[in-house]
Amino acid sequence: MVDLMGKSKYCFILSAIIFIVCIVGFLVNGVVLDIQFQGGTIMQIEMPDDSFDTELAADIVKSAIGKTATVNRSSTFNAANEEERIHLMVLNIASEETLTDDERMAVMDALRKEFNIAEDANVSVNSVAPFIGEEFRMNALKAIAISSVLIILYVWLRFRSMHGLSAGVFAVLALVHDIVAMFAVYIIFRIPLNESFVAAMLTIIGYSINDTIVIYDRIRENMKLMRRASYRELVNKSVLQSFTRSINTSLTTLIAVVTLLAFSVVYNIQSIREFTLPLVVGMISGVYSSLFIASPLYMMWQERKLSKKAALQKAAKS
Amino acid sequence: MKGNNGLKLFLVFALIAVMTYICFAGSLFGLVQIPGVNDIVPGIDINGGIDAMLYAITEDGRKPTQEELDTAKIIIEKRLDKEGILDRNVTTDLNAGRIIVQIPWAQGETDFDPDRTLKKIGRTALLTFQEVDEENIDEDGNPLPTGKKVLEGTDVIDAYPAQHPQTKGMIVVLELSEKGKESFSEATKRLIGKRIAIFMDDQFIEAPVVQEHITDGNAIITVNRDKLEEAVKEAKDLADTIRAGALPFRMEAKHVNSISPLLGKGALDVTIRASIVAFLLICLFMILYYRLPGLIASIALFMLAIMTLNCISWLGITLTLPGLAGIVLSIGMGVDANVIIFERIKEELRSGKTIKAAIDLGFKRAFSAIFDGNMTTVIVAVILWRFGTGPMISFALTLIIGVILSFLTALSLTRTMLQSVSDLDMARKTWLYGVKEV
Repeated sequence: MVDLMGKSKYCFILSAIIFIVCIVGFLVNGVVLDIQFQGGTIMQIEMPDDSFDTELAADIVKSAIGKTATVNRSSTFNAANEEERIHLMVLNIASEETLTDDERMAVMDALRKEFNIAEDANVSVNSVAPFIGEEFRMNALKAIAISSVLIILYVWLRFRSMHGLSAGVFAVLALVHDIVAMFAVYIIFRIPLNESFVAAMLTIIGYSINDTIVIYDRIRENMKLMRRASYRELVNKSVLQSFTRSINTSLTTLIAVVTLLAFSVVYNIQSIREFTLPLVVGMISGVYSSLFIASPLYMMWQERKLSKKAALQKAAKS
Repeated sequence: MKGNNGLKLFLVFALIAVMTYICFAGSLFGLVQIPGVNDIVPGIDINGGIDAMLYAITEDGRKPTQEELDTAKIIIEKRLDKEGILDRNVTTDLNAGRIIVQIPWAQGETDFDPDRTLKKIGRTALLTFQEVDEENIDEDGNPLPTGKKVLEGTDVIDAYPAQHPQTKGMIVVLELSEKGKESFSEATKRLIGKRIAIFMDDQFIEAPVVQEHITDGNAIITVNRDKLEEAVKEAKDLADTIRAGALPFRMEAKHVNSISPLLGKGALDVTIRASIVAFLLICLFMILYYRLPGLIASIALFMLAIMTLNCISWLGITLTLPGLAGIVLSIGMGVDANVIIFERIKEELRSGKTIKAAIDLGFKRAFSAIFDGNMTTVIVAVILWRFGTGPMISFALTLIIGVILSFLTALSLTRTMLQSVSDLDMARKTWLYGVKEV
C-alpha cells in the first residue's frame, strides 16, 4: 500500500509556501476592495466602437464634476448580434462621496458632447455610498464568523466518536487553508474583494468541509474494523479508500464551475467571472487540504497523544 | 417481481416527463396552469432595471421615523405612478433609515433613464393648494395648475381621515399652521362656491369646493363615495398624500445599481449556454466513469435541474445571474452524492458481493457521508441568505433548493432506477458498474 502519510511533509511545505505568499502579498499589495465594500461609482457606457480616448474621457469627467475617474475600455457578449461585441467605456470613480444623480447626468452630458454616444445608449451604474459599503462589509464578516462557528460545532457533534474536537479543529484548519489560498489569488492579482468573493468563500466553507467529512467518515468506520492498527495505518488506508471519491466529487463540481468560468472569461461576463474564479481556487484547495493536510495532521496529533500516554505509562512503571 | 420493477421504472420516467412538461409548458398538458421556467421572475441583473437605496437628507442629519419613511414611500409611489412605472417594488427599512426601490426594466422601453427617474422620485414633495381656473382644465375635467397658490405643504401641520359626526360621511381633517390659517382664511372668504385644487408636484390630487369661510385653521374635505369602504380608503389616501407634502426632507439615492437590459440579456445567454455545457460534461464524465449507474445518475441529474427550476418558479424566487450559477453549482454538487454511492457500490462488488447486495449496501453505507456533506452546505447557504444582499440572496436560495433536491433525487430516483434496472438479466454484468468480473 502506498504510504501517503509518509509524504505529507511535502504537502506541508507546499501549504506553508501558499501561506507565506498570501502574507507577503498582503504586505506588499494590500487588499483591494471593490466599490461595493468601499464606496464609489462605476458607470458602464455603451460605445459605438472601441476607438475612444480614455484619457480624454477622464479629463472630461474631471472638468465636469471635479472628481477623478479611471477610465477603461471593455467589451462584452452581444445577445442581439453574436458576430459583434458590445463596446463599453467603464468609468471608475472611487471617492469619499458617491456621485449624485445630478453629477451622473452632468458626466453623461459632458461625455455626449465629446464622444459619439448613441441617444439611447445603454448605461449601467453601480454606485455605493461609503457608509453602505461599510454596512455590507460588516454583514460579510458577520456571515463568515457565524458560518465558521456553526461548522465547527457541527463537525464536533458529528465526530464525537473519533475524538471530535481535534478532528473538528483540523477540519477547520483545512478550511482556513482553502480561504488563504483564495485570498492569495485575489491579493496577488489585485482583484477587488466584493460580495461575490464572500459568497464564494462561504460556499467553499460549506462545500470543502465535505471532502474532509467523507474521509473522517471513513476513518470512523475503519476504526471499528481495524482495532489493532496504528493511527498511521488507519488514516493512510482511509485516505486511500476515499481517494477516488474525494477527487471525483470535486471533479464533477469543478467541471460545472470551470465551465462557467471559461464562458464568463471568453464572453467577459464580469459578475459570473468574479464569482466562479474564487470557487475554482477554493475547490482545488479544498480537496487537496482534506487529503493532504487535515488527515495527516489528525494522524500526527493522535500519534503524539499515544506516544505521550506510552511515555507516561513507561515512567509510571519504572 | 420483474413486472413490479418495470412499473417502478415506468413511474419514474413518467414523473420526469410530467415535470419536464410542466417546466417548459407552464401547464399540466394544457389542463391546469402550473408555473414553469417561463414564469420565473428574472432579477434586475438579468432583465435590466434599477435597484436603489434612497436615504433621507434631513437638515440635522437625523434618521427619519417610521411614520416619515412610510409617508416618503407614499410620495415615491405616487411619483412612480405618474411616471407610468407600475411594475416596481418599494420597501422601507427602518433600522437603516432607508427606502429600497426596485424597478425592473419594462419590455420595449427605450428611454430608460434611471438617473432622471431617481432624481424625480427623490426630491422634496411639493404639495400645493391652488386656485382653479375653470377654463383651464384637462380632458377629464380636472383643473390644471394655475400657479396661484393658496397653501403649501409646509402650511399643513397634520392631516387625518375621520368620520363626520353628523353626516357620518368620511372626511379629511386638516390642521393648519398660523401662516396657513391666515392665507386659507383669506382665500376661502374670496372663493366660496369655487374649487380649490390640490397638487402633488404637478400632479392633480383632488379639488374640493369651498363651502364656507374658514377662519380657525381647521379645514375639512368631504370625501364623496358611494360605498363606505371606498370612502374610508380614499380619505386615508388623501390624508397620507397631504401629510407627505409636509415632509421636510428629500430622498437621495446613495446606492444605485442600474443595469441596462442589453448587458443583462447577454450575460443570461452566456450563462445558460455554460449551464447546458456544464450539465452535458458532467453527464459524460459520469457515464464514462461509472457506466450504467452513471447513466442513471445523469437521468436523475436532469430531473434535479428540472425540479430546481420548477421550485424556483413555484416559490416565486427572483432568479439572478449568481442564482443561475447556484443552480449549476448544485448540479455539480448534486452528482457528489451519486459518486459517493457508486464508489461504495464498486467497493462492495470488488469484495465479492452480488450486485443486488452491493447496491443495497452502497446506499446504506454512503448515507451518513452524504447527509453530513449536504447539511454543512445548507448551513452556510442559509447564513448567506440572511446576510447577503441583492443578487446573492438568489444564489443562496437556489443553492439551498438544489442541495435539498439533490439529496432527495439521489436517494429516491437514483436508487429506484438502479435497483429496478439491476434486476434485469442484461444488467447483471459487473463491468457495467465499472468493476472487472470477479
